[in-house]
Amino acid sequence: MGLGLLASRTLLRSGKIQPGNFTSLLRRCIVSTTELQNAEAAQAQAQPDTDLPKRSPVGGARVHFPNPEDAIEVFVDGYPVKIPKGMTVLQACEIAGVDIPRFCYHSRLSIAGNCRMCLVEVEKSPKPVASCAMPALPGMKIKTDTPIAKKAREGVMEFLLMNHPLDCPICDQGGECDLQDQSMAFGSDRGRFTETKRSVVDKNLGPLVKTVMTRCIQCTRCVRFATEIAGVQDLGMLGRGSGEEIGTYVERLMTSELSGNVIDICPVGALTSKPFAFKARNWELKGTETIDVTDAVGSNIRIDSRGPEVMRIVPRLNEDINEEWISDKTRFFYDGLKRQRLNDPMIRGPDGRFKAVSWRDALAVVAEVIHQVKPDEIVGVAGKLSDAESMMALKDFLNKMGSNNVWCEGNGPNPNADIRSGYIMNTSISGLEKADVFLLVGTQPRVEAAMVNARIRKTVRATQAKVGYVGPATDLNYDHEHLGTGPQILKEIAEGRHPFSSTLTNAKNPCIIVGAGVFERNDKDAIFSVVETIAGRAKVVRPDWNGLNVLLLNAAQAAALDLGLIPDSGKKIESSKFIYLMGADDVNLEKVPEDAFVVYQGHHGDRGVYRANVIFPASAFSEKEGTYVNTEGCVQTTVPAVPTVGDARDDWKIIRALSEVAGACLPYDSLSAIRSRMRTVAPNLLNIDERQPATFSYSLKPESHQETGTVPFGTVVENFYMTDSITRASKVMAQCRTLLLKI
Amino acid sequence: MAHWMKNLKVQPNSTSLEEARKRTFEFFRLACRSIPSIMEIYNLQDVVSPSQLRSTVASQIRKNSHVTNPKVIDMLLFKGMEELKNFVDHAKQRHHIIGQYVVGRKGLVQDLGPKDEGISNFLKNFYNSKYS
Ligand code: SF4
Ligand code: FES
Repeated sequence: MGLGLLASRTLLRSGKIQPGNFTSLLRRCIVSTTELQNAEAAQAQAQPDTDLPKRSPVGGARVHFPNPEDAIEVFVDGYPVKIPKGMTVLQACEIAGVDIPRFCYHSRLSIAGNCRMCLVEVEKSPKPVASCAMPALPGMKIKTDTPIAKKAREGVMEFLLMNHPLDCPICDQGGECDLQDQSMAFGSDRGRFTETKRSVVDKNLGPLVKTVMTRCIQCTRCVRFATEIAGVQDLGMLGRGSGEEIGTYVERLMTSELSGNVIDICPVGALTSKPFAFKARNWELKGTETIDVTDAVGSNIRIDSRGPEVMRIVPRLNEDINEEWISDKTRFFYDGLKRQRLNDPMIRGPDGRFKAVSWRDALAVVAEVIHQVKPDEIVGVAGKLSDAESMMALKDFLNKMGSNNVWCEGNGPNPNADIRSGYIMNTSISGLEKADVFLLVGTQPRVEAAMVNARIRKTVRATQAKVGYVGPATDLNYDHEHLGTGPQILKEIAEGRHPFSSTLTNAKNPCIIVGAGVFERNDKDAIFSVVETIAGRAKVVRPDWNGLNVLLLNAAQAAALDLGLIPDSGKKIESSKFIYLMGADDVNLEKVPEDAFVVYQGHHGDRGVYRANVIFPASAFSEKEGTYVNTEGCVQTTVPAVPTVGDARDDWKIIRALSEVAGACLPYDSLSAIRSRMRTVAPNLLNIDERQPATFSYSLKPESHQETGTVPFGTVVENFYMTDSITRASKVMAQCRTLLLKI
Repeated sequence: MAHWMKNLKVQPNSTSLEEARKRTFEFFRLACRSIPSIMEIYNLQDVVSPSQLRSTVASQIRKNSHVTNPKVIDMLLFKGMEELKNFVDHAKQRHHIIGQYVVGRKGLVQDLGPKDEGISNFLKNFYNSKYS
């Protein structure tokens, strides 16, 4: 319209036309798409370009040809592209660098083809085709910006907007809404609809997902996500025609641990985040690309913050780790970052109450006490959320004080830190997709590492891989065979007396996953040697395939083992006089002797604080730069998104300062210096964003002569939503616990 | 209240260090004498005691104990007097005095403490702020 109006103005000014004519001319100029009214005629005019500029695929994607003979050639807007057979027209267009508008199509979900937004014109087909559902055929001539295609999109848009409420100003999706963007780009500039719009009753999907169902455009992405990825049959489509609704049929909550992802895939504001509702607009948020520390997966996330406050957490694409999903715990625990924070150094007075003091005084008190105890009565425990830098500093400091009793919680009394393949996921998370038989030993991946579970489910769905499970009865959201609960079953499999052992031996890529809960067992070494026997029988470890995995529980575990945080003996806490808890809340504090002096360094007033004598406030993962290693051995760093609260300091700085006050000064005082110290201990920790596979395998391990016990495997994570100090402080997680876990 | 301060004016320069020293003591006494009324004006009874304020004044003066030039001392005295007058005239508000002389006093005294000598820059920064 702009151009038409401009043209008519110039004409008017240059006096070429009389004002009398003007009205009729103007009226015609206003219609944005005159050619659309007469598509055939306009098409005849369109001339094929001969010299086309080279285009690159949307988002810089690369095409992978499974077998090169199957490549076919199609023409997108006259530009030839080679694509593998079986791709859809929409994918072909993407490779040719043309982004087709879409609502229902999602690359990770099955194809529904019910929104019709992706219509394109294909030569010799009588009607425009839905490109997302049409396989590309050799020699197809696809046209994406012809008047017919444009008119089709405009029409679809008009139908969609007909029943879509005009509540963008109060909609949380505003600013990141596909419907908004696409109606700007492809829609008509005015509506013709004068009737009343339909409205739909909102559904209650639980404490995480807010619904405004009138906004739904029936793309069914959420339904497909729930059934295909999350593996729960909670959502469905009810009614037909204009009575069509998304819902749960009977009133019930969505109980998946991945339910938050429907917020991201819903193209409109029908499903939005309940805790984030009406809190902020997405354009006022500052995004910080960092990683999650609530489990050992290290999902890639973006922390959206406004000023000093974390407003929400959304996933970031990482094909090797979390694809584009994150678990509900990762997405919604952030309100715990605002509660129960420790913000001042504190000393417990004689009356048992904490008194805020200055850093100077707090450090001086601790430095004095640490000199009064014998070196082997000093114990240090790193917590679940510790970063590698601070664990390095803690270990160096305690070693300087003469003690070697430092470990990371969750690694058990005598962890194996010598052979790296013994504590990481050797197959890698994305490698799990190649496996065809899984044996889960004492692990419930669904609650321990939801993203790993999603991978297993994906594999099971795609290739009908078999899953055998040893452990307490649990609800895995894919077909599995519950083999038993105790280690005896493993022995049977190892000796070939169990039917599952032949399944394993016949498998091409068998995969065994041992849960980190086994670390805490007394017969840990025996269990691992039985598992290795199974692995040996079934050829699980081969030069081209390593299927023997350990699934860790906490973000700090792998880095702690890489850095060699192992205690001299597991019984040190009982005889200690000085305990340094670096964010460790799950150590058994009842075993701590009465007269021991406990220092708690951490960001939340959680379990560790009840017994502490001195508190050092530290910064949380969202406020510091720290290195973490995930369960597959991939090194990633967090990036500070918000400022720390109160007088808190970074973990490693506190230990560095304490070491100086205590007269055992650590030789580094900057992040780069501490990292070069880490390089000498574990060089792999410096290769950020890279997975460092283990070089040596089990074959080097000394034989263990321990006997397996008969104690059945236990449930390691009782409460998926509250596993560490931040999630325990979160109100949303507490709601989830009460509403969702009882089912 | 502030009748004796009404007609303050710039005194002629001190001729010697001796004289400047004498004036410094006079200023200190003057400040000490006005502390009760300052406590009254700003309602400070429950946040600070007169002796704490006195030692704040003393430490402020001691901070400049290395100055030997009588002219500089005169200038510092003039500034001190100006500050005192502002307080006595209620030209300042309660948070000024609390921020500068009650809460801030800790840092003032500690910065001079012998404890901090010989500590590394890292530790100094660590004590001072969380952004370093
Ligand atoms: S709720 Fe959202 S994702 Fe689900 S069908 Fe409606 S528009 Fe699609
Ligand atoms: S994206 Fe093709 S029909 Fe919806």
